[in-house]
Amino acid sequence: MTLNRLPDPEKRLSIRDLSKLYKEFVALDHISLDIERGEKIVVLGPSGSGKSTFIRCLNRIEPHDSGVLMIDGKIIDQKTDLTELRGRVGMVFQNYNLFPHLTVLENCAVAPRLVRRIPRGKAEDTARRVLAQVGIAEQASKYPIQLSGGQQQRVAIARALCMDPEIILFDEPTAALDPEAISGVVLIINDLAAQGITTVCVTHEMGFARRISDRIVFMDKGRVQEITPPEEFFTAPRSARARAFLNEMIRF
Amino acid sequence: MRRTGLPGVLIAGLVTMFATISARAEAPPSFAANGTLTACTNPTLPPMTFVNGAEASALAGFDIDLVREIAGVWNLRPDIVQMDFEGMFPSLSAGRCGMVISGVMRQATRERNFDAIPYYESAMVVIARAGTPKISSFSELSGQTVAIETGTSYGRLIEIENAALAAQGKPPVRVQLYPSEDQVIQQVLLGRAHAALSQDVEVLYRRRQLGGKVTTIFKPDIPDFHDFAIYIRKDSVDKARLEQAVDELRRRGTLTALAHKWNIDDTLEEAAATRGAPSRFDVQTFLSALVSRAFFKGAAMTLIMALLSHVTAIAISIPIALALNGRRSLIQPVLSAYVAVFRGAPTLLQLLFIWNALPQFLPIFRESWFTPFLAAWISLSINESAYQVEINRAALRAVDRGQSLAAEALGMKKSHVYWHIVFPQALRIALPPTINDFISLLKTTSLASVISLQELLAVTQIQVARTFQFTEYYSAALVWYLGIVFFFLYVQKRIERRFTWADRDKAAAHDA
Repeated sequence: MTLNRLPDPEKRLSIRDLSKLYKEFVALDHISLDIERGEKIVVLGPSGSGKSTFIRCLNRIEPHDSGVLMIDGKIIDQKTDLTELRGRVGMVFQNYNLFPHLTVLENCAVAPRLVRRIPRGKAEDTARRVLAQVGIAEQASKYPIQLSGGQQQRVAIARALCMDPEIILFDEPTAALDPEAISGVVLIINDLAAQGITTVCVTHEMGFARRISDRIVFMDKGRVQEITPPEEFFTAPRSARARAFLNEMIRF
Repeated sequence: MRRTGLPGVLIAGLVTMFATISARAEAPPSFAANGTLTACTNPTLPPMTFVNGAEASALAGFDIDLVREIAGVWNLRPDIVQMDFEGMFPSLSAGRCGMVISGVMRQATRERNFDAIPYYESAMVVIARAGTPKISSFSELSGQTVAIETGTSYGRLIEIENAALAAQGKPPVRVQLYPSEDQVIQQVLLGRAHAALSQDVEVLYRRRQLGGKVTTIFKPDIPDFHDFAIYIRKDSVDKARLEQAVDELRRRGTLTALAHKWNIDDTLEEAAATRGAPSRFDVQTFLSALVSRAFFKGAAMTLIMALLSHVTAIAISIPIALALNGRRSLIQPVLSAYVAVFRGAPTLLQLLFIWNALPQFLPIFRESWFTPFLAAWISLSINESAYQVEINRAALRAVDRGQSLAAEALGMKKSHVYWHIVFPQALRIALPPTINDFISLLKTTSLASVISLQELLAVTQIQVARTFQFTEYYSAALVWYLGIVFFFLYVQKRIERRFTWADRDKAAAHDA
């Protein structure tokens, strides 16, 4: 697959030569990628390959230093309204980062109320509907500390969904989950794609990656090494780095 | 009293003097302006001049009554002005006072600059516990401990005696200094000091309270401690007129009546010595002190001062904590220095500095709006804010960075992130140390008694000085302090119970 030099405004996400530096260290090195509406992307790579930095650039929690990031034809840079951007690009963190002092329902309703100025009643109605969608409607009045890891992960996803985003970024969503809970997350992510929501997911879990991806982006040393469909990536990876990486994973 | 030449003239003079004395005495002195006699006093020496009761404006005592009587002789309106002891003689020189009457002894050094008119005989006394054998000179106190009041001239007396003892190769008199006269006498009662130096009128005044537990063991004849005197600016005519007025009052029996009123005539000494000692702990006194208006007001002042200072301290400390936790900037070293200085300096020093030293640099703080209340509020707020900054910094740091990251990823503004996500969690962490600090501050307010703030401990000390019942009043103060502290510990428990989200078991119980 070859990309034009210029970003494509027809794509949901169009990225060209995206770079990020931490002083001398090159965290992202000329990343170029187009992502379709409703597409499921998984970013794989060894620790320190820059995959987390990459998805954090997509909602500008880490601003990039050079290159072009375009979402739905709009260029994202220092002039972009962050509130609007983050309303469109949701994020689910590795440790969930739920707000411990708020109930599950309040966790989901707080941002729509403060950011979108939606009245409390309406925001909580939406939150209840979304919690039902991810299968934890009955936990609405509990505090995060009372929930299991899998339930907390669902709250984190529901919280992002309540802002009605077009894209959701997942940073290691299964790191602390048991296999049963992982299956639950797979169902939810596939359901999101069916609704037209684009997902970009960083993970270490090979089985999980296979089940929630249309395409695998393999990164190493801040660069994209290859972009391939999962069945091809796991059976016949094109790059030598990906082969070495997969061998390493199998040995564990 | 007057220089006269011949005996015949003397007799004639006496006759005319006797005839004209009442008319002459009514001629007012030159320092009485506009029909007013202005007298300056420092009301800290019962029974001569003191504040009687809870109201700071209620002056009373032998001296206060005497001013009114003298003004009556001259048909003047008495105007009594309270001031610091150190301020009285400068004010007399400056003409702000017509006279100084404040239980001041007639002393030769003072008479170089002012005229002194003696009005009541007194004597310095050495007192000890009842049954202590009498002595006949200071040198017999060699090697003994003697309690005296800070700032009095008794200290100088002992120094001279000690120099003489040292020359004889004898051990010196050991001196213990106490800030108030009641505490000096208490040391004798407790047996901590062998003897104490005082003035006979004070001992006579206290004899009811002491119930014959102390006795005078030595009455040295020292000219400088012989007479109480009124001081005026040097003027021989005024001096003569004031002497005549005092003589007139003595003749009328007014001085004797005043001495009796203020319990300083020595006719009752024997009776007092035979009276039984007061009981160890008078429950009635304790209970009436506990529910007295004076204690209630003192406790209210303590509480208001602590609450006001702590709220101010918290308001100051939050922006400082945020700035210190935030990005590096030029203001950070300044704020760090602020915290270091006010956390490092003793609170008592800060209070004294703001009350006594600051007005020397900035005259605006000498004006009457700068009250002890305001000074204590400022000092305690600044002092507490330095501690509170550290609590707030630690609490803000303890909130996981992921919390603000998650909030920002949801599109929240910085102010929303702080108010709705970070502060509520930091509050939970900061609450126990903050209430801990508040309880500490509540007790620190007692230091403000040094700048004459009428808080609980100051009220207690005034009542003790008046009644000499240490145990009863100290106990009443203790009950008030503990009551306030326990109330706030209860409040802390109640607030912590609301933070169910921080504890899984409590959260579950809350659900059920």
